[in-house]
Amino acid sequence: MTDVNGVDRTTAGIDVVELVGENDLSTSAQVERQIGEAISAGRGVVVDMTEATFIDSAVLRVLLSGQDRAATVGVGFAIALGTTTGHAVRRLLELTGLSERLVIATGRTEAVAKAAEANPASR
Amino acid sequence: MATDRQGFEIRVAAAAENVPLVRHALRAYLETVPMPEDRVAEVVLAVTEACANVVVHAYPDADGDLQVAADLDGDVVEVRVRDNGRGITPRVDSPGLGVGLPVMAAIADSIELGKANGSGTEVRMTFAVRDTASHPGSDSATLST
Repeated sequence: MTDVNGVDRTTAGIDVVELVGENDLSTSAQVERQIGEAISAGRGVVVDMTEATFIDSAVLRVLLSGQDRAATVGVGFAIALGTTTGHAVRRLLELTGLSERLVIATGRTEAVAKAAEANPASR
Repeated sequence: MATDRQGFEIRVAAAAENVPLVRHALRAYLETVPMPEDRVAEVVLAVTEACANVVVHAYPDADGDLQVAADLDGDVVEVRVRDNGRGITPRVDSPGLGVGLPVMAAIADSIELGKANGSGTEVRMTFAVRDTASHPGSDSATLST
């Protein structure tokens, strides 16, 4: 079950959507809404999964559509993984080939920097 | 729910909010068998995808059950995910990526789809109790889109 997923607003014009614990079909709509609200406000998005222990393909769909929408709107998007990211998260990204298609960084700081590169609010 | 060294079975309403419940119960069962932690995580992922398919596809117009059973037979865990609805059928408005079945197939050592109890679908997967590093299932479930 998910812990509390939060959103942090950075000064770089990036909202960090933090996925903590487990996320799946039962929470993907919440994650989609958090990502969508940031993009609608013209802010870039980092999805911080450094503390995510589990995601399923419903969450993966939300990440992919979020990245596509961010690109359409012209704001940055990146995903942060870390040493505490769960094996199931990394395995799902690897099996689906999305580790190649999604913009992935090591740690939140690097992810925010990557997202900010494509984010007009920070330029 | 019954959980012991020989077997596991759970039946819940096929609803998204019940999938974590099934996942946690299955993980607790798998922790009683000699399976590496990373392999348990992969099995739980494959079974979650099967459960999500039941929630999304099996009962488009009605309520129904999601049943998951698991048994350890030698060094193989067999997991069966069943519904009494229409099972895995094409749905043009599917909210998923369409990778659930390929992910299951890539993780499991074998996978069979069949009819359950005359109606509905049973997904039967087997998983060897062994380390991921020796697992041949680095097959991909790559998106073709």
